Amino acid sequence: MVYVQQLSQLDKGQVDRVGGKNANLGEMIRSGIRVPPGFAVTVDGYRRFVEHTGIGEEIERVLAAVDVQDADGLDQKCGEIRDLFRVSDVPEEMADEIYASYESLCRSCGQESVPVAARSSATSEDLPDASFAGQQDTYLWVMGAESVLEHMLRCWASLFTARAVSYRIRQSFPHDKSWISVGVQKMVNSKVAGVMFTLDPSTGDPSQVVLEGNWGLGETVAAGEVTPDYYRIDKVSGEINEERIGHKHIECVPDPERGRANTVPVDADRMDAPCLEREELEELVRIARRIEDHYGSGQDIEWAIDRDLPFPENVFVVQTRPETVWSNKKVEPLLSRKSSSELLVGRALKTIHVGS
Amino acid sequence: MSDAKSFPDPISYSAQEVPAGLAGWERMYPDHFLFGKEREEWESRQFWYLDKIHAPYPVPPLDQIFQQAWQISLSQHTTRVFCIPPAQGVAQRMVGCYQYICAVEPPPPEVIAEKAPLFEARSHYPVDHYDELWDQWVNRVIALGREMEEIHVPSELPRYLPDSEIFPNDFRGYTQAYELQEAFSRATDHLYKAWQYHFNYLNLAYLYYLTFFDVAKTLFPGVSDGTVSQMVAGAEASMFRPDEELCRLARLAHEDGRVAKVLKKDGSAAQKIEELKNMAGGRDWLEEMESIKEPWFHVSTGSGWYYYEGSWVDKMDIPFDYIVHYLGRLEQGERIERSLDEIHEDRNKLVDQYRKLIRTDEDRDSFDSAHSDTRVIYKYAEDHLFWIEHWFHTLWWRKMREIGNTLVGAGTLKEVDDVFMFNRFEVPELIEDSVTAWALGEGVPTLDWTGKANQRKKILEAAAEWTPSPALGTPPEEVAEPFTVMLWGVTTGSVEQWLEGTGAKPGEVDEIKGFASSPGAAQGPARVLKTAEEISLLQEGEILVCPSTNPSWGPALGRVVAAVTDIGGLTSHAAIVCREYRVPSVTGTGTATSVIETGDIIHVDGDSGVVSVVEKAS
Repeated sequence: MVYVQQLSQLDKGQVDRVGGKNANLGEMIRSGIRVPPGFAVTVDGYRRFVEHTGIGEEIERVLAAVDVQDADGLDQKCGEIRDLFRVSDVPEEMADEIYASYESLCRSCGQESVPVAARSSATSEDLPDASFAGQQDTYLWVMGAESVLEHMLRCWASLFTARAVSYRIRQSFPHDKSWISVGVQKMVNSKVAGVMFTLDPSTGDPSQVVLEGNWGLGETVAAGEVTPDYYRIDKVSGEINEERIGHKHIECVPDPERGRANTVPVDADRMDAPCLEREELEELVRIARRIEDHYGSGQDIEWAIDRDLPFPENVFVVQTRPETVWSNKKVEPLLSRKSSSELLVGRALKTIHVGS
Repeated sequence: MSDAKSFPDPISYSAQEVPAGLAGWERMYPDHFLFGKEREEWESRQFWYLDKIHAPYPVPPLDQIFQQAWQISLSQHTTRVFCIPPAQGVAQRMVGCYQYICAVEPPPPEVIAEKAPLFEARSHYPVDHYDELWDQWVNRVIALGREMEEIHVPSELPRYLPDSEIFPNDFRGYTQAYELQEAFSRATDHLYKAWQYHFNYLNLAYLYYLTFFDVAKTLFPGVSDGTVSQMVAGAEASMFRPDEELCRLARLAHEDGRVAKVLKKDGSAAQKIEELKNMAGGRDWLEEMESIKEPWFHVSTGSGWYYYEGSWVDKMDIPFDYIVHYLGRLEQGERIERSLDEIHEDRNKLVDQYRKLIRTDEDRDSFDSAHSDTRVIYKYAEDHLFWIEHWFHTLWWRKMREIGNTLVGAGTLKEVDDVFMFNRFEVPELIEDSVTAWALGEGVPTLDWTGKANQRKKILEAAAEWTPSPALGTPPEEVAEPFTVMLWGVTTGSVEQWLEGTGAKPGEVDEIKGFASSPGAAQGPARVLKTAEEISLLQEGEILVCPSTNPSWGPALGRVVAAVTDIGGLTSHAAIVCREYRVPSVTGTGTATSVIETGDIIHVDGDSGVVSVVEKAS
């Protein structure tokens, strides 16, 4: 049984074992896209744990009695399930493997206790037509082997938040076929981070990269807690077609002592200053194109720029997943199958409305 | 449309608002170019705006001939030749020596319906037969130009006809008097004919461009206007040639070190030519130059619309300055030639990348079809420019100066260029008065044409100080006429900007907007140039600010870090050349040369189309 795999060893053939997010990271590394180094605890680890502790039956029993309409009851029952995930119950050989992987990661990063993110990656989550994304948890700024193990368990347990459970019930998705893998990846010491789409999410325009960023870690952007800087850049020509500098009043910064990240106010000079340099924008667009070319479809990418490394080695992709809104729409020809002559005649008959 | 302001009524504006210093301006132009009671109802209903593209400055009477000719030709090709259904022509009026134009309101629905099938039947033919049609076109223009060159203007009205012209073998039956009259008459005919040719395929080319523009924006709503233009424009074979020849001459000089040395000295082109004549290698080089001067140095140094601008052939200092500059770059080991093939390659690569992003095969087919047709016919839009506005106009001015020179010799005019102070209906009168006085014998006066010329020069000077209203009349609901949309960029936004007024002065404005014509951003000291004569003042690292760049200024763009123009859209020469040189540019700002001063530190953003004044010159 393999409980841990290095991200660099993964590819899309391993979605079943490590979940979409982690498999994707492996794919990216293979195509030369920079991601923070790390490893994944496979679903075999999760299933071994469930089997070893025998909590599978417990879970089934509790869930059988669940009434989705009863919010308080649901919360309580889910809480009960989550309590079943205890560090002390992790099989020894699995715990050892995880500790060893973390220590190896620390050495390769040249840090004693490298801060990592523990991210849940459900095997059903990133299926293009199932927006489970965000249903499971992510933990930032986790340090120390013990803490890694502890947060891994919390990730496993997050399969059973009220939200996740009720979502699966509504979608008729079997709980016992929902497995989880946990990705453990070095935290980028983000100076600036955010998200980008390889198409314009407001129009579906495939020629544009739309990018949003804020100071600090990317969670403020993804969670919509701040008005980020917004850029719309032409994928082919590189022109910046639209730029809106946001009022970035807060940022998420690491709190290594407490092993977490905190949301703090941004100082006055940076609030309304652009958070990205032009060369960084160019590098991000280049990366976006590379990712899209690799996957052959629209992508929704989380990126971060590490303050500790020099440019461009510090521009990282944290995550990528298929863009689901436009890529799944049935595409009708926009030009109604017209030939040049037909289009010309159509245009010749058109008048431009000038007055209001 | 804003409620607070509206545009002045054209008839009252014309009658009451032109400054007193321009009194008498109306007589400079033919009556049918004036607003007035006879056509008041129709005139007040149209939307008139200043034509800053073809008449950026006050129009000298004889220079108006080009405008007169294009009013007919542009309009007829839309209304009577290609029958573009909802569009009609572009009309002109003069106010205080400035030219206003309007897209004539659409015809009634029955007429639109009538035109549609005609348009449909005729519009694809030029694309299908482009190469053949282009060859025919160039040949007929060149033939016409040669004919015009051959029009003989008698160099003087002789005191007595010489023996050689009297006796049987050589007596033509008419004298220089007639010859002079005929010369002007024929030259005018040729000029109007050249302008007939000018629009043979242009209206259609613009319409195809607009169609492709819509296609690109439908498939890629966020793509920039500049990028769309790059997909079909920019391979201007004819406008390239003059620059290619400069490069070739620079290279030849570079290979013969002695010629290079002479060229690099201080001094005028004339002085250098003299010196080169005395060197074996110099003579060879001069011979090369002579062989390409016609036609390739017939490039206007300015907009191509004004007699006072001149062309490279009569201002040899300008091409020589470029050659010297290219020499300098060659000596640095740089490559100076721009290959058309490379440009085509680059463009294909660009288009290919966008093509790949198209989501359905059907759309890709439509795109390919529109793109290929547009690329074919759009070549016309770029190629015709050299032959008419540059080459033909140069020939015209040369002919007019020959006439002016003869009139000076006859004592009717004081200066050769005074001939340009009379419009094309008046010049025959001027000539007739002159030859009549000659015919009548000694001591017979003519009218005071010189006095009139001087008065008109003063009016034009006063007009240059005046800033007329950007528009007059009633803003339109709709615009269908392709030139209006494309060339003049009339949109709701621009109309509103005009409503807000563009009478800004230096120091009053610290940010102006225009077309984002060439990507990138740069900051540096501005050099505001109004004429190509001043090009030699341009330093490396400066930002060129000018009314519009002309092909004549192309080589200068290699020295600057950015360019800003008053006029010109995304498909203008300025935009195209800046993109080739990878120099950020913002064109069509309307007011750059009025609000920016030489020495101001400015920031040019070619992605957003914004130019900001960072620091005023001290």
